[in-house]
Amino acid sequence: MKLLTCPINGPRPLEEFAYGGEIREMPDPQTCSDSAWADYVFHRDGAPGPKREWWYHVPSGTWLVAERDTASDVVSRTYLLGEA
Amino acid sequence: MPYQLLKFALSKKHPEPAFFRQPAELKPSYDAVIIGGGGHGLAAAYYLAKEHGLTNVAVLERGYLGGGNTGRNTTIIRSNYLTPEGVAFYDASVKLWENLSQELDLNLFYSTRGHFTLAHTESAMRTMRWRAEVNKQMGVESEVVGPDVIQAAVPELDMSCSGHAPILGALYHKPGSVARHDAVAWGFGRAASEMGVEIFQNTEVTGLDIRNGRIAGVHTSRGTIKTGKVLSAVAGYTPRITKMAGFDTPIVIHPLQACVTEPMKPWLNTILVSGSLHVYVSQSSRGELVMGASLDPYEVHATRSTLDFVEGLSSHILDMFPFLAGIKVVRQWAGMADMTPDFAPVMGKTPVEGLYLDAGWGTWGFKATPISGKTMAHTLATDKPHELIHGFRLDRFRDFELTGEKGAASVGH
Amino acid sequence: MTLRLPPQPGEWIDRATPVNFTFEGQAYTGYAGDSVTSALWGAGERVLGRSFKYHRPRGLMSLANHDINVMLEDGTAINMRGDVLPLARGMELRAVNTLGGLKGDKYAVLEWMAPLLPAGFYYKAFHKPKALFPFWENVIRRMAGLGVMNPQAPRGEAIKQHRHCDVLVIGAGPAGLSAALTAAKKGVRVILADENARIGGTLGYDHAGQPTALETLARLQSEVASHPNIELLPAHYAAGWYTDHLVPLVGPSGMIKVRAGKVVVAMGAFEQPAVFRNNDLPGVMLGSASQRLIHRYAVKPFQRAVVLAGNDQAQRVVMDLHQAGVEVVAYVDLRPDADCTVIRQLGIPIYLGNCVQEALGKHAVEGVRISRWDGQGHPDPDTSMTIACDGVAVSVGWAPAAALLYQSGCKMRFDDAAQQFVPERLAPGMFAAGRVNGIYGLEAALEDGERAAREALGLATGVARAAETGSSHPWPIVPHTANKNFLDFDEDLQLKDFETAAQESFDNIELMKRFTTVGMGPSQGKHSNMNAIRVLARLRGEPIPKVGSTTARPFFHPVPLGHLAGRTFHPERRTPMHDWHAAHGATFATVGVWQRPAYYGTDKAKAVEAEVKAVRHAVGMIDVSTLGKFEVHGPQAGELLERFYTGHFVNQRVGTTRYALLLDEAGVMLDDGIVARLSNDCYYVTASTSNAATVYREMTRRLQTWGLEATIVNLTGSYGGLNLAGPHSQSLLKLLTDLDLAALANGGVAEGMVAGVQARVINVRFVAELAYEIHAPAQDIARIWLALEEAGRSVGLKPFGTDTQRLLRLEMGHFIIGQDTDGLTNPLEAGLQWVLANDKPFYLGQRSLKLLAEKPVSKRLVGFMLEAPPATLPDECCLVLRAGKIVGRLTSIAQSPTLGQVIGLAYVASEDAAPGSRITIRHQNGRDVVATVVPTPFIGVAP
Ligand SMILES: Cc1cc2nc3c(=O)[nH]c(=O)nc-3n(C[C@H](O)[C@H](O)[C@H](O)COP(=O)(O)OP(=O)(O)OC[C@H]3O[C@@H](n4cnc5c(N)ncnc54)[C@H](O)[C@@H]3O)c2cc1C
Repeated sequence: MKLLTCPINGPRPLEEFAYGGEIREMPDPQTCSDSAWADYVFHRDGAPGPKREWWYHVPSGTWLVAERDTASDVVSRTYLLGEA
Repeated sequence: MPYQLLKFALSKKHPEPAFFRQPAELKPSYDAVIIGGGGHGLAAAYYLAKEHGLTNVAVLERGYLGGGNTGRNTTIIRSNYLTPEGVAFYDASVKLWENLSQELDLNLFYSTRGHFTLAHTESAMRTMRWRAEVNKQMGVESEVVGPDVIQAAVPELDMSCSGHAPILGALYHKPGSVARHDAVAWGFGRAASEMGVEIFQNTEVTGLDIRNGRIAGVHTSRGTIKTGKVLSAVAGYTPRITKMAGFDTPIVIHPLQACVTEPMKPWLNTILVSGSLHVYVSQSSRGELVMGASLDPYEVHATRSTLDFVEGLSSHILDMFPFLAGIKVVRQWAGMADMTPDFAPVMGKTPVEGLYLDAGWGTWGFKATPISGKTMAHTLATDKPHELIHGFRLDRFRDFELTGEKGAASVGH
Repeated sequence: MTLRLPPQPGEWIDRATPVNFTFEGQAYTGYAGDSVTSALWGAGERVLGRSFKYHRPRGLMSLANHDINVMLEDGTAINMRGDVLPLARGMELRAVNTLGGLKGDKYAVLEWMAPLLPAGFYYKAFHKPKALFPFWENVIRRMAGLGVMNPQAPRGEAIKQHRHCDVLVIGAGPAGLSAALTAAKKGVRVILADENARIGGTLGYDHAGQPTALETLARLQSEVASHPNIELLPAHYAAGWYTDHLVPLVGPSGMIKVRAGKVVVAMGAFEQPAVFRNNDLPGVMLGSASQRLIHRYAVKPFQRAVVLAGNDQAQRVVMDLHQAGVEVVAYVDLRPDADCTVIRQLGIPIYLGNCVQEALGKHAVEGVRISRWDGQGHPDPDTSMTIACDGVAVSVGWAPAAALLYQSGCKMRFDDAAQQFVPERLAPGMFAAGRVNGIYGLEAALEDGERAAREALGLATGVARAAETGSSHPWPIVPHTANKNFLDFDEDLQLKDFETAAQESFDNIELMKRFTTVGMGPSQGKHSNMNAIRVLARLRGEPIPKVGSTTARPFFHPVPLGHLAGRTFHPERRTPMHDWHAAHGATFATVGVWQRPAYYGTDKAKAVEAEVKAVRHAVGMIDVSTLGKFEVHGPQAGELLERFYTGHFVNQRVGTTRYALLLDEAGVMLDDGIVARLSNDCYYVTASTSNAATVYREMTRRLQTWGLEATIVNLTGSYGGLNLAGPHSQSLLKLLTDLDLAALANGGVAEGMVAGVQARVINVRFVAELAYEIHAPAQDIARIWLALEEAGRSVGLKPFGTDTQRLLRLEMGHFIIGQDTDGLTNPLEAGLQWVLANDKPFYLGQRSLKLLAEKPVSKRLVGFMLEAPPATLPDECCLVLRAGKIVGRLTSIAQSPTLGQVIGLAYVASEDAAPGSRITIRHQNGRDVVATVVPTPFIGVAP
């Protein structure tokens, strides 16, 4: 399996990680329309390309951000949220 | 020997014509264009021609026919789903499958083996009961059976699963079948082609021509064509097409892997699925064990294989059949599954007029090939969604009216 | 007749250790170090197997695991490949897939039907009439398949190991050896693997009658063996390449998973067969196979050989045969202009510009018919002549063993001059050396290995030398009107099958593969893909690069399931009281990874009834250590919970608990638990056993996105818990603590000493009106448990398990998320409006619920009682029908010992949700059962 670099624990086999999906901006629930909200809840930008994603290093309980190209599955960068 | 084979011996030259007409050039316009030469696209072409007289149709395939998920799938066909919408839809498909070899005059090796979904936990038993009851209510043959029935059908099965996950019972679905995947694409393609549909391989759709919210044509790697109706039946490529069309769907792509062993003489006569152990297995007519597991856990638009997949699968298969330890895995592969949040497909109209979607087939769409072709052909020809696909409309997400099939579709494709 | 040669320098066999075995019931003797095939061939056997489709006799072809002519079974193991199966004492072997034995295989009649069975024949027949298909399918299934599986075969335990290295070199031929040594000398850690029992590759068998190769091998061997940086792994094949250079090496006893910094692929090339009539007749073998026989096993391949040449390699074979005492009766070269000076001196008859049209003989080669040809597939029949011989050695070309390169994403190109695919653009970290690059000469291969290693270490960015010309013939294919000229030996595919396929539109390499099944057999195209590509290119009238090649997926060689599985681990988690439960007769249930007592005793019904009774009338105790347990600290801890769960927590008073419901963004119920406020800035939160990890994970993620000042501590493993429930629970607990339990009524929480242990005591009402959850550090909780057990004896305390708990909570009218809800259930359906604090600005799922609240709720979760319970209760998940339509299902049902009634929870149509409504449940036996909707809790409700 692949390796992924945890910012705390270094390169670790992918099986130690859980995928948390793309990092997406939540619309303001107070002001957004019903359909904009439904879009946010269900719809995804499913097309291949570079994405910012949540990954979780299970043994250490670390959430991290990975910049990964979903077409090539190559991770270009990982870091803790806010340390971009 | 059947007499059909005699012609091969009696004729000097090989007596078979080409399967498909493959015109050299695209016409400038078609009444309808189908993107994707997988089973679904070709079936839609077939039913458009056969049932709606629409033959000025082009099927565009970026690679070769059936080279997408159709040619990679493990071919389990069943209708023991969980929602009434799902059961009715897949049951209609099974009914088409049953006569499809004869209808297409191609032996699809449609082989009814019976399908066991094994339950190792009380909660799995509850789900089996739920599915059985919905199935029976909809007239589909399913029943919860005990360990004795399972053991009688598969005497070789270790009912304790090596002591780790004793089998409490199963959902037994008598109509469960397998078929030859490639032949399905070829059969529909040949029959459509005979009625005038044009099939183009190595022809990729690169853009959509949309004017005032209406489809006007498609751009391809071999030029642009005009058309008022486009069906996208591209499974793992769906998000790329919807991006061209400018709208999002809930579909995300995860790889789904499978593998096959060396051939051995027939011993496994049913299809077995275990949700808890995340495996399923059947034996092909060539004698290979065809095996798969659950979906890869994250989004990738590629068909790479992983070692941990086949390691995990092997360990679970050996829990069930310890004596297979010396049997060798010959080949592993992957497809790109177009997953939806509720494990039901996305079919019908889209925000773009004249653009129709047949997608969200994830890990379960092979069995739907004939019925999706038929219902999409109806939808395209009449511009009205077929009644069988109401529960699968894209709008259901906006309306928060999901069609929850997860309990029936997550491992047992 | 034995064909053993006198001792050969470097031979693999140990003549001091004869090995007896049987094959097809007959006794044979070989030597330790033999493969089964070499021993049988050495004993003069020719027919070693039968082909898959036509059951033609087959002999030795590649002796290198590139074909499956010799497939064996021994009653336990099946599909063993004789060419590479080490001979062992007492083996009792048979060929697979024969009817009545190898010699008299009755399936051989199939050959006469061959004209009826062109490629894809099975698509054209057997389906009409439909009713007969099952019959034909049965026949076909029986004919197909190789060995007969034995359900008694042992599971075995293959070992899995992990290794890391800087450079992994795959293939220990000259190029690989040179690469490994070069890298090792630069001080990096090297693993050198080879599928053969001994290293050396071609050095070990391709001698051209000279001793030089062996001398080179001896030198390299000793250097490699003595180099501390090299770990040598013979008898291990690289099964595949996976992302980030993970390469599993499969050996006899297990699998070594190597994670390499760099990978050098020096896996060589597969020698390719020539295609002519009867090219599968025993006695026709690859030139390299004949060399292996001589030099590894000291077996004379034949007495009188014809050598069919298409490249320069063939003359090396001639010389090796000659030196081994084989009479080479003809050297037939497909090329008109080969330089034959060396072999001419040996006095061997030379036929340039000739092809072998067919091999002659019934069960083994007795001669060949050769004729002049144009080098393009057109023999001149007028010039044909026959030559008597007992074998044909074929050296016409190679295909690179590039599977791992392909898997790593290497782009290959077809080198026209070399007539071979070679790497064009390697994937990062991947390097290739030797024959995969089209480099065949020994010196050149050594040099190429060194270059690859230097590049891998970043010491050079050299360009690989050009592939050599003359190694592969562009068209080693001879048509024949009577066919039986095989391209794929696994699948019995003849040249005409490809023409047929193309005629039927399968003229794309992938479609052709699927229609003909070329390359789909166990050898995965090692000996067939290249010729198939050549044939297809010609059929399409296009150059090979336009035809392309098929994808090479793992595995390189098939891998046993047992090796892939390794030893299986089934880890389980146990609570601190586990041993006590076991000692007290608990029947355990697996809940996720946890082991939990389901009830105590063996008779479930009796045990549960007694346990329920204890809780309702005295006191009971359950181990709840498996619950998720978290502390949330900090000034904004309340704010975090406020956004996370649906209720209010900021204004929660210290010392109280509140129900916590977690939704996802779509408003679906995910989990529930309680939130206890321990101090101003510390909350203690529980989550259900099965969701503990997910809830913690999600909470920590939200904490980050919301950027709140709070910390979450996961105490799930470090704290244990128990629930003491029943009318006597308070009085019993009082005996062990000074805490003011009365003050805890209505969901209070307090910290203090219980049985001498610092603990948290929470008043909860999940299973009984009066109950306390006691949580304490995992190392201490058992002390409380034991103290309660002792103190409780006099008041009838009983431990209870999860089955009992389920019943108790049902009597209390509580649902369980996951059982009474499904993946789409929202709180409006579950009747949980009261826990939705919609006056807050935000909680997870709130916006979706707002949207849902504007729509009619079609079904609701309600309590029911059966009016006239049938002898067998309806199962959980039986349907609730209304006018024949499915409206819901029952999710929980049980005979309540307390009430003497059958009670349950069910989803019913909203119209029927009011107490007193009557609903219809469809029993699994098909009958309808009527139930009445009743208010919950059930307890305290008059029947
Ligand atoms: C390993 C695996 C096992 C499975 N097992 C089962 C099973 O047991 N039972 C079951 O029912 N289902 C199963 N499935 C799911 C099933 O294979 C698919 O849902 C189904 O085959 C989809 O068919 P399709 O025709 O829609 O898509 P595909 O067969 O994928 O066809 C789509 C075609 O569109 C083409 N295309 C894409 N983009 C373009 C473009 N821009 N222009 C032109 N052409 C384009 C592609 O090349 C492809 O050929 C499995 C899937 C996998 C991967």
